[in-house]
Amino acid sequence: MRRFWTAACLVVGVVLMVVGYTASAPWGTESVAHSDPRFVFAPAVFVLGVVIAFSSALVYELLPEKRRH
Amino acid sequence: MATQTERHSTLPQRVGQMNGAWRLFVIGALAVLGFGIYSFWQEATQGMVVTGMRDVGTMGGATWGLYITMVVYFIGVSFAGITVAALIRIFNLDHLKPIARTAELLTVVSLILGGLAIIVDLGNPMRGVVNLFKYARPQSPFFGTFSLVVAGYLFSSLVYLYLGGRRDAARLAKSPSRLQWFHRLWAAGYADTPEERDRHDRASFWLAIAIVPLLVVAHSTLGFVFGLQVGRPGWYGTLQAPAFVALAGVSGIGHILILAAIVRKVTATPHRIGEAIFAWLGKFLLGMLLVYLYFMVVELLTLVYATPETEKRLSDALLTGEFAWIYWGSVAALVISAVVLIWQAVVRRWSVTWLVAVGVLANLAAIGKRYLIVVPSQTHGTLLPYDTGSYSPSVVEFGVIAGLFALGALLIGLFFKAFPALPIEDESEEVIANA
Repeated sequence: MRRFWTAACLVVGVVLMVVGYTASAPWGTESVAHSDPRFVFAPAVFVLGVVIAFSSALVYELLPEKRRH
Repeated sequence: MATQTERHSTLPQRVGQMNGAWRLFVIGALAVLGFGIYSFWQEATQGMVVTGMRDVGTMGGATWGLYITMVVYFIGVSFAGITVAALIRIFNLDHLKPIARTAELLTVVSLILGGLAIIVDLGNPMRGVVNLFKYARPQSPFFGTFSLVVAGYLFSSLVYLYLGGRRDAARLAKSPSRLQWFHRLWAAGYADTPEERDRHDRASFWLAIAIVPLLVVAHSTLGFVFGLQVGRPGWYGTLQAPAFVALAGVSGIGHILILAAIVRKVTATPHRIGEAIFAWLGKFLLGMLLVYLYFMVVELLTLVYATPETEKRLSDALLTGEFAWIYWGSVAALVISAVVLIWQAVVRRWSVTWLVAVGVLANLAAIGKRYLIVVPSQTHGTLLPYDTGSYSPSVVEFGVIAGLFALGALLIGLFFKAFPALPIEDESEEVIANA
């Protein structure tokens, strides 16, 4: 379970980073649209992704041990 | 009262003990911090006119002044702390472990100060912060600087510091003291089982592996903020990013040397922060210094060789004009530092006093060099037909920066009053902790 939640946290973080980065402003110079984010607060999504990805270390260490019977 | 004093005297490394010198330090730091807050209040209520900054060109000034100089400096200082901590973990440099926490804390505090220095530079701080999260563009080096430095770098350093301290927190949480709640909170159920230790070894290793490239990218993008500005003589160049990383190493390791000497003195642990640690830091600093001096010579030769007119105006101001005393003062400080370090390496004797002096010199030089990167290209480096400009920091700016330094000193001082500066590993120390 520990590995699952750690991996999940890492994957969610990386996905948010990719989405936030690509949505922050499309690459190109043809029009003024290339200056605008695809949605407002897209850069915040990237930052959130970075934070969640690094939080996977916290999840890995802080999740309590499974109770042994 | 007597019981309280007895209870606190059980914690190791003078954690929780507040003597006269400590109180004096706190009062002094709070006074300077208060002056800094008052200075910022002046700026916030009266506007940026109370600073020495003015528009580039039309008003003959500089829009980036002392604040941005200190942003670059503080973020540069943060580089070495987490680098040293990561290297200790990745290469299992056990003999350096006593300074790992100090180095990590230096990174966290200097990143906080760097972030605050950006905030005070904004005429309307909240608008700047909100717009950054709303509209920042990945094509801009600022995106990397703010999102990776302030978000990723600071957060990952905090995680690294927190996880690395859980074992000691768990040990301290066993001792009755006024800080017991804090240590329990930090320990978060840590019981120091073999499984937990293995888990921490794995997590800290991969965290260190992830942090090293992150910080190289973060510091390079800070160099790109200047290096990619094609219309600004003195800034545009391929050496900005690597030179930023090298000077960041110089100032950061210099700071670690100073802090390690203070921690060694205050916690009375010369047996743990020994000469070998200072020698390692001295060699590391020497390596970074030589790399930076090489970059500086290459940059200087490029600047003075067949210089175009706009570049010449800038190089004259730097080498013989109004900035010459800062330029040559910084060069002298760096060269003297290198000579002292080479001498100590040759005789194979590392003096803590000399190393601290080198740390101070290297940091003064770093502030000078950061100032020279930021200011002269704005006042003397415009391609448009404007007259030469000028910039002098105002009392308000000096006050705010003094306040930031005081805040940094206070954060480090308070942290080490609540938590041991060195990892608890000595049996006798643990006995004291559990007494």
